[in-house]
Amino acid sequence: MIALEVKNLSKSFGDLKAVDDASFSVPEGSIFGLLGRNGAGKTTTIRMMMNIHMPDSGEINFRGINSGLEFNSKIGYLPEERGLYKKMKVLETLLFFAEIKGKKGRAITKLAKEYLEKFELSDRMNSKIEDLSKGNQQKVQFISTLLHDPEVLILDELFSGLDPINTNLMKEVILDLKSRGKIILFSTHVMSYAERMCDHIAIIDHGKIKINGSVSEIKAERSKRNVSLNYDGDISFLQNHPIIESISDHGKSVGIKVNEEKDIQPLLKLLVDKNVTVKKFDANDISLEEIFIDLVGKEATEEVTNV
Amino acid sequence: MFNYRVMALIKRELREKLMSKAFVLMTILLPVFMIGIVGVQTFIMSFESDGSKIEIITYSDSLTSKLNEIIFNESFVKNGSLIPTLKTIPENDIETYLAENEESLITEQLSGIIFIPETALSDKKIKYYSKTPKNFRLLEKIDGPINKILVETYFSSKNIPIEELAYARKSVDITSFKITEGEDIKEEGYGGLILSYLFSFLLYLSLIMMGSMVMQAVIQEKSNRIVEVLLSSVTSKELMTGKILGASITGLLQMTIWLSPVVLVASTTWFMLPPEAMIDVTFLQIGYLLLNFFLGLLIFVGLFTMVGSIFENPQDAQSGMWPILLLVMIPFFISMSMIENPDNPIANIASMAPFSSIIVMPAKMAIIDVPIWQVLLSTLVNIATVFAIFPIAGKIFRVGIMSTGRKPKWSEVVKWLKYKY
Repeated sequence: MIALEVKNLSKSFGDLKAVDDASFSVPEGSIFGLLGRNGAGKTTTIRMMMNIHMPDSGEINFRGINSGLEFNSKIGYLPEERGLYKKMKVLETLLFFAEIKGKKGRAITKLAKEYLEKFELSDRMNSKIEDLSKGNQQKVQFISTLLHDPEVLILDELFSGLDPINTNLMKEVILDLKSRGKIILFSTHVMSYAERMCDHIAIIDHGKIKINGSVSEIKAERSKRNVSLNYDGDISFLQNHPIIESISDHGKSVGIKVNEEKDIQPLLKLLVDKNVTVKKFDANDISLEEIFIDLVGKEATEEVTNV
Repeated sequence: MFNYRVMALIKRELREKLMSKAFVLMTILLPVFMIGIVGVQTFIMSFESDGSKIEIITYSDSLTSKLNEIIFNESFVKNGSLIPTLKTIPENDIETYLAENEESLITEQLSGIIFIPETALSDKKIKYYSKTPKNFRLLEKIDGPINKILVETYFSSKNIPIEELAYARKSVDITSFKITEGEDIKEEGYGGLILSYLFSFLLYLSLIMMGSMVMQAVIQEKSNRIVEVLLSSVTSKELMTGKILGASITGLLQMTIWLSPVVLVASTTWFMLPPEAMIDVTFLQIGYLLLNFFLGLLIFVGLFTMVGSIFENPQDAQSGMWPILLLVMIPFFISMSMIENPDNPIANIASMAPFSSIIVMPAKMAIIDVPIWQVLLSTLVNIATVFAIFPIAGKIFRVGIMSTGRKPKWSEVVKWLKYKY
């Protein structure tokens, strides 16, 4: 069942079409990834969802509520560019952000302290924001998006600037929220995060939605002629081989697309014959990164300026 | 308009501002500073070298003895700040006497020599010889008794009764009366004038201070991106209202603190003020002053907030600040000029025009009796100005606060007004 729906959203800044007739839908209980390169239109789309930018046309709907204050009250929003009052204290900050969402009182204070505990910040409760490290500031801001118990979390570039331990901590919290029926929408240009966490995605490029749907369906549709390979040795002979359509190197593994589905077994034989040590040969597998590059990478590589 | 979101914003603003060191320092230090300036000046002026020795020489024994009778009764002689020695030397010998004493004059063992020649009886011209002949404080003291004996000597030959002489010697003493409608004519001191100066100055200072404080805060919120988080919870109108009201309430509180001594002085008899300095203010007037000030804060803080939302750093904001600063400064100078001439026609217009009436009207009220309709009109004009400014500021704020990158041109800012939101 669809919980959050974006319909025909458009926004121009002068001559630049930042978002162009974008539509996608986020099902109940899902972790949704809005994927795109820098400047593809992710942040503008999200800002329109939050009613910060007015769309030129289109609408946003969450369980029957259109974008606006009531819509916003059900959402926890973490903007791409983080910002907190530097002179305010940690706990004070959290309570303030909950208060403008209409939540205050002892229960909220207690909850705030619990979250601080969870994020290993309880000893910094009365520190000023400016005295915290950047990572800790980010954690405080993340807590501030959760504290009013929103139905939906919209997290713009959630993982940027976090170390691996904090990244894992965030992931845990997000999975926990998902298990409690919350909807999480996050934008990223790092495909590996999306790969591991999202069950639904939309890929946006130059303001247009290129694909939208469940990750497993998208993958199934596109993985039929695909092999994911880990190996030792030299596979340069595959370049320009008649059964190969394309090869993409992802560092650790290589994604190979054959011309036809029946070419997969001959490919494995070819590798063995040529003395390549096959460590992993995964047919019918495609990474999000491959799908992403396939959809987006063919276009002009120059980056769109950020607006 | 005043929902929980705005309240939370105002609360945060107040907590941040009232707890800030800047607020506490400014509230306490400004009056101390103002009193200090006056005090230091008075102190420095009253500071004088102790026991300056001077010689007063007259041409005749009779004059010397007359002077001798009165000069030792003068307070400056009694308290020892001046030690006079009286001598009689004929005019012909004075040059020689000066030459003899040149060294003690130059080494300042002797502060000065005053010589009263015979001609002084007709033209009152006396001579003062000193290393520092422009010591006005010393001369000011000594000229009273000398004048007295000269006058007495002059008139003693003319058969004029002592009382007549006393009348002639008296200077004019003007008592000012303020004519007010419906009330008795009251003796008017300088209190109103002092209050007018003081309030104009405080008003001017406070509007600029509060305004630029909010502007800085807006620029900061914009540049460090808190706005985006805030705007996901509150509307831009609520955010702007919260900021303006937060600052205006802070300013009002500060002004109330500053004015409370004035109210105390005016409404109680705890302080003995000389009648010339009596302050004649009623609670109604104080109430009006505060209301007027609050409207002024709304208007100017609103304008400063608007300017702050347009720019991303304080340097750029300077260019946008100028027009607003002029709106505060010009009325301030008008009200200063009014203290010289309250009937200045420019001041009359300014006291009822938008923006300027905030500063000019209170100053005018302190000096002359302004008809009540003028006061009401200026208040209405100010309320109307608030209502005129807010939608415009709101529109510019709405677009400005989220626009980043290069500094916008003024023509672009005008376009923002036409955006549909």
